[in-house]
Amino acid sequence: MDQFRRIQTGKKGDIHLVQFKDKKILDDNVLDEIRTEVTQLIGKASGPDVLLDFSNVEFMSSAMLGLLGQLHRKISSGHGRLKMCGIRPEILTVFKITNLDKLFSIHKDAPTALATFT
Amino acid sequence: MADQRDGTQAARTGGVDVVIAEDSRIQARMLIRRLEEAGHTVRWGETGALALALAKERRPDIIVSDIEMPEMTGYEFCKAAKSDPALKTVPFILLSTLSDPIDIIRGLDSGADNYVTKPYEPDYLLGRMSSLLASPLESADDGSAAMLEVTLQGQKFRVKAGRQQVLNLLVSTFENAVSKNQELVVANQELSVARDGLQKSNEELSTLNAEISRINTHMIRDLKAAAKVQRSLLPADDVEIPSTTIAWRYVPCQSLAGDFLNVFPLDDEHAGLFVVDVSGHGVPSSLMAVTVGRFLTPKVSDQSLLVRQGADGRIAVSRPADVATQLNRLFQADEFSGLYFTLLYGVLHLPTGRFDYCSGGHPALVRVPAGGGDVEFHATESFPIAFVPDVEYEQKTLQLAPGDRLFLYSDGVPEAMDKDRNPYGDDAMAACIAASRAAPIDAGVKGLLEAVETWCQPNGPLDDVSILGVEWRP
Repeated sequence: MDQFRRIQTGKKGDIHLVQFKDKKILDDNVLDEIRTEVTQLIGKASGPDVLLDFSNVEFMSSAMLGLLGQLHRKISSGHGRLKMCGIRPEILTVFKITNLDKLFSIHKDAPTALATFT
Repeated sequence: MADQRDGTQAARTGGVDVVIAEDSRIQARMLIRRLEEAGHTVRWGETGALALALAKERRPDIIVSDIEMPEMTGYEFCKAAKSDPALKTVPFILLSTLSDPIDIIRGLDSGADNYVTKPYEPDYLLGRMSSLLASPLESADDGSAAMLEVTLQGQKFRVKAGRQQVLNLLVSTFENAVSKNQELVVANQELSVARDGLQKSNEELSTLNAEISRINTHMIRDLKAAAKVQRSLLPADDVEIPSTTIAWRYVPCQSLAGDFLNVFPLDDEHAGLFVVDVSGHGVPSSLMAVTVGRFLTPKVSDQSLLVRQGADGRIAVSRPADVATQLNRLFQADEFSGLYFTLLYGVLHLPTGRFDYCSGGHPALVRVPAGGGDVEFHATESFPIAFVPDVEYEQKTLQLAPGDRLFLYSDGVPEAMDKDRNPYGDDAMAACIAASRAAPIDAGVKGLLEAVETWCQPNGPLDDVSILGVEWRP
C-alpha cells in the first residue's frame, strides 16, 4: 500500500487520507515530489474527497500554498471536498498572512475533520 | 556404523571419527556440516573440557580444537590429550589466529601437531587432516622429546617437544605462511584490477566534470542575462517624484528572484508603487515575475493595467483594486505551475497625500506618522493573486499627513528566520522602523535590511527581501 516516498495514504470510506511524511516542506524538489504523488493518488478517482494531514509537518514554505490551491481547484471542480487537519500554529500563520485559512476547510485533527465530511 | 570401525579402516574408506572443540555454535555448525559432507563422523564439545570427555569416551582418529574457549582453552585441552596415554598419538589440530609469535610456542608447549590459521577454508582444513592421517604418529614417544629453550619478544620459554612434533608444526606454520602469501598475491591482483577500474572511472568522471562545467558556464551566462531582465523591473536609478523621497532595497536570495518592486510617476499628479512576491524562487518564479511586471508598467500600452489613454487623450490612472482584480483574472490560467503571487499596489495623489491601495494576500502596509505616534500596520484580508478565481479585490485609502512615511515590503522581512527558525516578526520590524524615524528614509530602509540580515546570521536570508519606503512632504 505504501508506494509513496513523501506521503502516507489511506482510505476511510470514500475519503482519501493523505499524511505528509516530511517534517520540513521547504525545498522545491520535495514540493515537486509531493505534487506528483498527490496528483497521482487523486487523479485516479473523479471528484474524490481528500483529507490532508499536516501533523508531521513542522516547517512549510509558502510555495506549498500554491500546491494546496491547485488541489483545491482540482478537487472542487470534480465535486469533491478538500479538508486539512493537524496544522501547527506556526504553520497556520503562513495560511493566515495570505488569508487562505478562510479559503480552506481547516480542522484540529483527523477525527474532527472526518466527522465534517458526512 | 562409525562405532564399529577403527581409525585406520575409517581412514582408508575416507571417513574418520573426529572430535571438535568449538565454543561458537555457528562456527561449530559450519565445521560439522563440512566434515560430515566429506564423510566423517563428528562429535562436538562446546568447551575443551567437554571435548576431552568425548575423546576419552571413545578414542577419535583426529581432534580439531579452537583456542579461545571458556573452562578449558585449546592449549589446555591439547596438553591434557597429549598426556593421556590413550590419546597421545591422536593427531591434534589447533585453529589459531596466529596473531602473535608466542602462539607457536604455546602450541609447541601444549604438544599440538598442526596449526590451521583462522579464518580458514574448509577444504584446506580437510587437506591438513588427511595429510596428518596419512602419516600416523608413532605410538610410543619417539624419545626425542627434550626441553627446548626459546627466547621470544624478550621472554624466555622452556618447552618440551618431540622432533616429529616440531617438524609437523614447522611444516604447518610454513604452509600457513605460503597459503596466506597466495591469498595476498590474489588480493594484490584484485587490487590492481580495481585500481585500473578506478583510473578508468576517474577519467570518465573528469570528462563528465568538463561537460558539467561547460553547461554550468552556459547556465551562469543565461542566469546573468535573466537577472539583467529582472533588474529592469526595479525602479530607475534616476527616478524622481515631486513631493516624495524614495528609498528601496532589494536582495534576491538566489540569482533570480520571485520578488520585485517599483515606484514611478503615473501622470503629473499620481505616483504608483508596488511590491510583488511570487511564490517560490529561481527560474519559474522569476519568469512569472517578469510576466507580471509587463502588466505593471506606467507606460501607456495595450498591456499596462496601471494607465490607459482616455477618450480625451489624457492619461487615466486605474484604481488599485481594479489592477488586482484584473491581474487575478489574467493569471487564473496558471493551472499547472502552482505559482501565485502577493501584491501590494498603491497610488499616491501627490498634491493631497491621499493614498489608495489594494492588497492581494500581501503583508500589511506600514505607516510611520510624522507626528510621532506608533508605527501603524494596515492589514487587508484578501487572497493572493492567481489563487481563487473571480475575486473582487477591495480598495482602501489612507490619508497621509506631511512627513508621513509608508513602508512596503515582502514577507522576506517579517518572516526572515534566525538559525533556530524564529521569525524576525512584525514587532521587531516596527521597532526598527520607529528607531530610524528621525533619520533620512534611506537610512531607515537600509537599517531594516541590515537588521534582517543580522537576524539571519550566519546563513543569510532564505527568501528574497524587498523593502520600499516613501516619504510624502508636499
